[in-house]
Amino acid sequence: MSIQTELAIQLSATYRLQWEKAQDMFVLLYPEGLIELNQSSAEILQICDGQNTLKDIVSTLEKKFSTNNLESDIKNFLNTALDNGWITQST
Amino acid sequence: MAGSLKAPSPPRWLLAELTYSCPLQCPYCSNPLDYANLSTELSTDDWKRVLKQSREMGAVQLGFSGGEPLIRKDLVELVSYSHKLGYYINLITSGYNMDEAKIIELKEAGLDHIQVSIQASSQELNDFIAGTKSFEHKKSVAKLIKKHGYPMVLCVVLHRQNIHQMKDILEMAIELGADFVELANTQYYGWAHHNRDQLMPTQQQLHDAEGIAKEYQTSQQGNMKIYYVVPDYYEGRPKACMNGWGTTFLTIAPDGVALPCHSARQLPNFNCPNVNDSSISDIWNKSEAFNYFRGDDWMKEPCRSCSEKDKDFGGCHCQAFLLTGDATNADPVCDLSPQHQIVTDAIEQAANLTDDKPLVFRNSKNSKKF
Repeated sequence: MSIQTELAIQLSATYRLQWEKAQDMFVLLYPEGLIELNQSSAEILQICDGQNTLKDIVSTLEKKFSTNNLESDIKNFLNTALDNGWITQST
Repeated sequence: MAGSLKAPSPPRWLLAELTYSCPLQCPYCSNPLDYANLSTELSTDDWKRVLKQSREMGAVQLGFSGGEPLIRKDLVELVSYSHKLGYYINLITSGYNMDEAKIIELKEAGLDHIQVSIQASSQELNDFIAGTKSFEHKKSVAKLIKKHGYPMVLCVVLHRQNIHQMKDILEMAIELGADFVELANTQYYGWAHHNRDQLMPTQQQLHDAEGIAKEYQTSQQGNMKIYYVVPDYYEGRPKACMNGWGTTFLTIAPDGVALPCHSARQLPNFNCPNVNDSSISDIWNKSEAFNYFRGDDWMKEPCRSCSEKDKDFGGCHCQAFLLTGDATNADPVCDLSPQHQIVTDAIEQAANLTDDKPLVFRNSKNSKKF
């Protein structure tokens, strides 16, 4: 599977993104599991809200971090996230 | 024995074993053999204190387990309290006594997920292994869980008596709409250790079952996630004990004993702390039991000089104790262990089991004999 550019991306219903104060990081929670996210993964997943497409996510984050070369990193991460079932794209 | 001086990482997982009572009698239960003598249970307020202190330490995954957690009358109250604290809450249940009203009530209280165990893909075998008529009810509970929007995890413990049903088990999981399936080869602790000869599958059975599991893992990708818990007696390398002793997991037993792993109360002279006497922070950071196997100061050879010691931490200490009598020995499932023959002998012994040695079912009557 790979990300379809024209479709919005959302977190899967079985996953929950949450800020953990004790660990000072975002985590992804699912049945009996926990994924500790680095900052860039957390930045991406926070805007997988069912409204944004790949292009929207890239432009939001490039603006936020004043850079213009994030597309391939973001796309790679989202493809992994899709394979792992963390995110979905509705048709 | 002192562990590393570095401050330990905070607990991430709290397993709250609310009660040892259970209507089922599975002969592979991981509860202690003598559970019937441990009938004291923490009060609702005790549990709330444990939940609050553990959450403050960093625990975020919470499992309500047992025994059968649905037996506790305060389950909904504890779920609601935990939800307000921000836990991701898992209910690990046999489904027995669950009905639609309870499923709705728990959802409204903030329960995130329900894991239902099924013992087999056929009514006859399920009800035999569970020691209780429960198959049809479990299936209807699984459907209700889906209906009310929970992610549904189906857990099937595998052993010699049901592993040939692998294909039917997976087809049943698809039919029930499971999001995740946990195919858990029996781990030999507690009752399972006692019944090991009758539960241990053969190499051929495992080979066939693993092939089917892999096939479904591929064909169900993106639809149903299948976890296959390997049978460590056959693996040649041990499992990484609890992701590292005292690094991630905190188990609280029904009577308030705090354990770095749910089997640890069987370790002799271990002085496991109790939440009635100490705070979670003191238990986690300062108690002898939680520091005992932290770091690698405790290790003997062959683990000490092993290049894989940071990967498996010497394996499972409870298994080392059960099989060799010394928890600081290498887990003998490792083929580098000088005592590995204990494991190969156990496999052979089970394979050569000819008489009809009966399974000993987990119930209070049998428990009182231990």
